[in-house]
Amino acid sequence: MKRLTAKVLSCAPLNAEMGLLTLALPAGAEAAVPGQFAHIAVPGDRAHLLRRPISLYSVHDGILELGIAAKGEGTRRILQAKPGEEIDLLYPLGRGFDKGAMRRIAFVGGGIGVAPLRFAMERFADAQCRAVFGFRSRDLLYAVEECEKTGASVTVCTDDGSAGFHGLVTGPLEEMLRRGEVDGVMACGPTPMLRAVQALALRCGVPAQLSLEEHMGCGLGACLTCNCKVKAKDGEFGYKRVCADGPVFPAEEVVFG
Amino acid sequence: MNMGVNLCGVELKNPVIAASGTFGFGREYDEFYDVGSLGGISVKGLTRLPRLGNPPHRITETPSGVLNSVGLQNPGVEAFIEKDLPWLLEKGAVVVANAAGSTEDDYCYMAERLSKTGIHILEMNISCPNVKEGGVAFGTRPESVYHITKAVRAHCAKPLMVKLSPNVADIAEVARAAQEGGADAISLINTLTGMAVDVRTRRPVLANVVGGLSGPAVRPVALRMCYQAAEAVSIPVVGMGGIETGEDAAAFLLVGCTAVQVGTANLHNPYACPEVVRGLEAVCAQQGVQDVRELIGALRLD
Repeated sequence: MKRLTAKVLSCAPLNAEMGLLTLALPAGAEAAVPGQFAHIAVPGDRAHLLRRPISLYSVHDGILELGIAAKGEGTRRILQAKPGEEIDLLYPLGRGFDKGAMRRIAFVGGGIGVAPLRFAMERFADAQCRAVFGFRSRDLLYAVEECEKTGASVTVCTDDGSAGFHGLVTGPLEEMLRRGEVDGVMACGPTPMLRAVQALALRCGVPAQLSLEEHMGCGLGACLTCNCKVKAKDGEFGYKRVCADGPVFPAEEVVFG
Repeated sequence: MNMGVNLCGVELKNPVIAASGTFGFGREYDEFYDVGSLGGISVKGLTRLPRLGNPPHRITETPSGVLNSVGLQNPGVEAFIEKDLPWLLEKGAVVVANAAGSTEDDYCYMAERLSKTGIHILEMNISCPNVKEGGVAFGTRPESVYHITKAVRAHCAKPLMVKLSPNVADIAEVARAAQEGGADAISLINTLTGMAVDVRTRRPVLANVVGGLSGPAVRPVALRMCYQAAEAVSIPVVGMGGIETGEDAAAFLLVGCTAVQVGTANLHNPYACPEVVRGLEAVCAQQGVQDVRELIGALRLD
């Protein structure tokens, strides 16, 4: 069963722009992998037809936590959910991060892209985990302490210098890669960040996995609306489905722009 | 209670067909329920050669609607015949092959090629708004609808259903043109052309700039057009446009449709099609109707 009805346990602010929606998963919910997503129906009305794809912030003991940015009317309505209300979701969807043989992993996140990395760091805690998280400013920080609790070291960067390093995540990442401190990168964030992470990882010969975002329809792989550009044979390019082939892709496969 | 209908010689288990472009080749939805239980499956629009489709973004939400511009991404007719058609036939599905092209020759080729397979109905898509050549260009003027239908008819050994565009001045005239060209049925409506703009970036939301609007937002327009088309022709009409419930489907049957297609609803509810079937059964039960065919064209205008 992939279509579930989950009860809201709580909904609280995560930072100045995001909320944390905590749901009780019903019995029979499939096990999820970090990087997968939940496809959430907007509650309360029929005008917002499409589900909202939301990455998984944490899954433990039958509880699902989702970090949701209030980007528009649909996500605002989801964040207005009250304890006891029911949420209709398709879960879990997509292909997540693959730890494979990685023993020293760098997690690189920007803004709401930090959310799925928090779940990955929780699950992959047996590896040596180091994180570099970028936020626009201090009031948008979240997940940092939770990630540190998994035993990882977390470097915070802000665009305005109000917390941590004043600058981009690529600075600390480049140092780590240069020093040969990691043997794998997992990243999620805005496209310019992912493009920079891709370039750095490829240049240093370190395998990287990028979690992409795209406007989405069914979430199941049928409607072909959430396409992303990938390399194909003979220097050509093709499209893959972010929902079903991703959202996590090997960095060498993705074509930005 | 009988839910079966006959659509130009093909027996459907019920009048609910999954609409092209929202259902792939059925495999994703078969994870949720047996897609062979539907009246039929109109597969993702096929072309002679594989098509890449349009760049992202391809979809955005509008009030009670969805705007898309996929641009007929598909693996090509040969891949469909080899990989997907056998599976669909094994499922016991009535297969409606939705076919598009850039030229008249493409459409004739597709009809000829698909006629040699086990498909049940050819749905000639002359109404796709999201491709540069062909598609809707064939579907907006009655003369060109007549011309291409007549040309394809000569190459088509299967029941021929022509999918009409709503982006026309007079749908009755276009429906008659398809009938006169030799269509066995017509299906409508394809999407209404629309547009969305991101005011902050001052850019169109869709990479293709314009797209096709579907969902409940278009339902009253679709219902009106199906009514007018059914009045204008004697061949069966398959209605679609924002159908989400059994009541919605019943309204389309009442204005004269023999069957309906459910499209956009699949995007947010994987069980949309079987729910419409059950909802339609419930409407029949409430009204003491023993045979769903009693609803077809039973609109009261007195």
